[in-house]
Amino acid sequence: MISRAFLFIVVTVYTAFAAGPFLWVATMSLRTTSEISLDHYAWPEKLHWEKFPQAWFNSNYSVYFENSLIVVVSAVAILTMVGAMAAHCFARYRFRINRLLYFVIFSAIIFPPQITIIALFQTLVQYGLYNSLIGLTLVYIAVQLPLTVYILESFFARIPADLFDAARIDGYPEWHIFWKVSLPIALPAIATTVILNTILLWNEFLYAVVLITDEAKRTLPLGIQRFMGDQLEDVGMIATGLMIAIIPVVIIYIFFSEKLIQGMTAGAVK
Amino acid sequence: MADTESAARARALPLPSAERQPWGAIIAFLLPAFTIYTALTAYPVFRTLWNSFHTVLPRKEEFIGLANYVTLAQDDIFWRSVKNTFIWACASPLAEVSIALLLALALYAKIPGMRFFRIAWFTPVLMSYVVVGIIWVWIYNYDWGAANAILRALGLEGWARAWIGDPKIALPSLIFITTWMWTGFNMVVLLAALHSLPSEVIEAAELDNCGWGAKLWHVIIPLIRPTLLNLLVLSFIGKMKIFDLVWITTKGGPLWSTETVSTYTYKRAFEWTTFDLGYPSTIAAVWFVIVLAAVLTLTWLFRQRDRLEY
Repeated sequence: MISRAFLFIVVTVYTAFAAGPFLWVATMSLRTTSEISLDHYAWPEKLHWEKFPQAWFNSNYSVYFENSLIVVVSAVAILTMVGAMAAHCFARYRFRINRLLYFVIFSAIIFPPQITIIALFQTLVQYGLYNSLIGLTLVYIAVQLPLTVYILESFFARIPADLFDAARIDGYPEWHIFWKVSLPIALPAIATTVILNTILLWNEFLYAVVLITDEAKRTLPLGIQRFMGDQLEDVGMIATGLMIAIIPVVIIYIFFSEKLIQGMTAGAVK
Repeated sequence: MADTESAARARALPLPSAERQPWGAIIAFLLPAFTIYTALTAYPVFRTLWNSFHTVLPRKEEFIGLANYVTLAQDDIFWRSVKNTFIWACASPLAEVSIALLLALALYAKIPGMRFFRIAWFTPVLMSYVVVGIIWVWIYNYDWGAANAILRALGLEGWARAWIGDPKIALPSLIFITTWMWTGFNMVVLLAALHSLPSEVIEAAELDNCGWGAKLWHVIIPLIRPTLLNLLVLSFIGKMKIFDLVWITTKGGPLWSTETVSTYTYKRAFEWTTFDLGYPSTIAAVWFVIVLAAVLTLTWLFRQRDRLEY
């Protein structure tokens, strides 16, 4: 009984520790800064919902949001297709340099971003893709490709080979085998990579801060940083801005928490 | 271990009349991925290496041989940032994984509402470092931040301090943030690993009446070794890359006490008005080699120990 109680205390304390900061920001997002400066830890007495439209319209949040949406959706769409094709090929065809090519792509997972980022900056400037959402999208595809191929390859490799042999004997062309056999079976894994890449790219900061400086092209993380700089002492307003950024992630998370945990842990568990 | 794995995979692969490979299809499937990889990963790597032997100004590039490397060897801020990054990359995995393991063991016995707790613990990982950074700047605020508020409430007034304003404790304070973020993730992974163990093993250890510590050290840790090692390496790699959190909270200050290689490279490339991209490329090239060497050494060390034990 004592150990049960002890366990309960550990769980509660750790949960408060992990989730507390978000709860705190959530309460502040509904209070005005003058209320907050009286007591930073009070429960909101009057819910100031009007702060959300204020934060949205007073800064360029709608622009940031739209930019993030465009970049993330197009990057993830292309990434999934390109990654799935490569992963299918690595898992299904036996050719001499198969493992070598796979290793070449996979090894990029450990590259520190600096090794590419300066040259990417130069290259994108040269081709007029600096400060452009297309440029950022292309870079994002390249950045997430190794992880995507890695997750999908390990899933494709576990699909029983008999299925493909049967399709081949039936005279399916190679493309149809991929499109009509591999992809439908791999849908759970594909969903995992889609959700995972969406969250990771939605939060991405380093490449964005290097490749985008134009106010009209900023993605959400850059926008939040900018917003913080503008409001500076207006803690209440920044808290509202933070909540606007957190909410989409939380919504995705509520619907797909299991898939997401799977995706995040896929690399860690063999 | 990897060998048996690839052998098993090779057996699973179909043999489409082995002599005739559908090369057309293979090339078509790989072409898009390799085009992107070549243009946006491989080429930039080589260009960065090329840069590192040059002065790269907006309209002028000049070969200067190893001059950048010589300067780098004497660049105190660079070595400071290497030291900081390594402290981070070594302290974090140990803290995260050991705390997570203890918590996971405490929770191994199923508790009601497990699903809810799992979701709650996982939340910090999903937030961007930008959001997390801003929240923790507030938590560490000297006057009203939660850290000092809790200390004052506990009567430890004297312990209150400017957590990220004091060069002596700024780095540990930032390491604490990443530990807060990632412990839950590690715990969820370890819980999954523990639950996948055959329960007989743990029960048998219980019957043999061996102590808690012995059970942990001799039974549980060896069984989940692969997962533990993977988590350590994963956390290590993540911390070697760290940029966003530092950039939002301290920008490497005060007095370079939290400067990491990522922030220093960024400053030299895009903040300082030297306009030279050659020198930051040298930093990147040297760091690239250090990271590769560190990761290879780690995997090699772990392999080696595996071989010795079994």
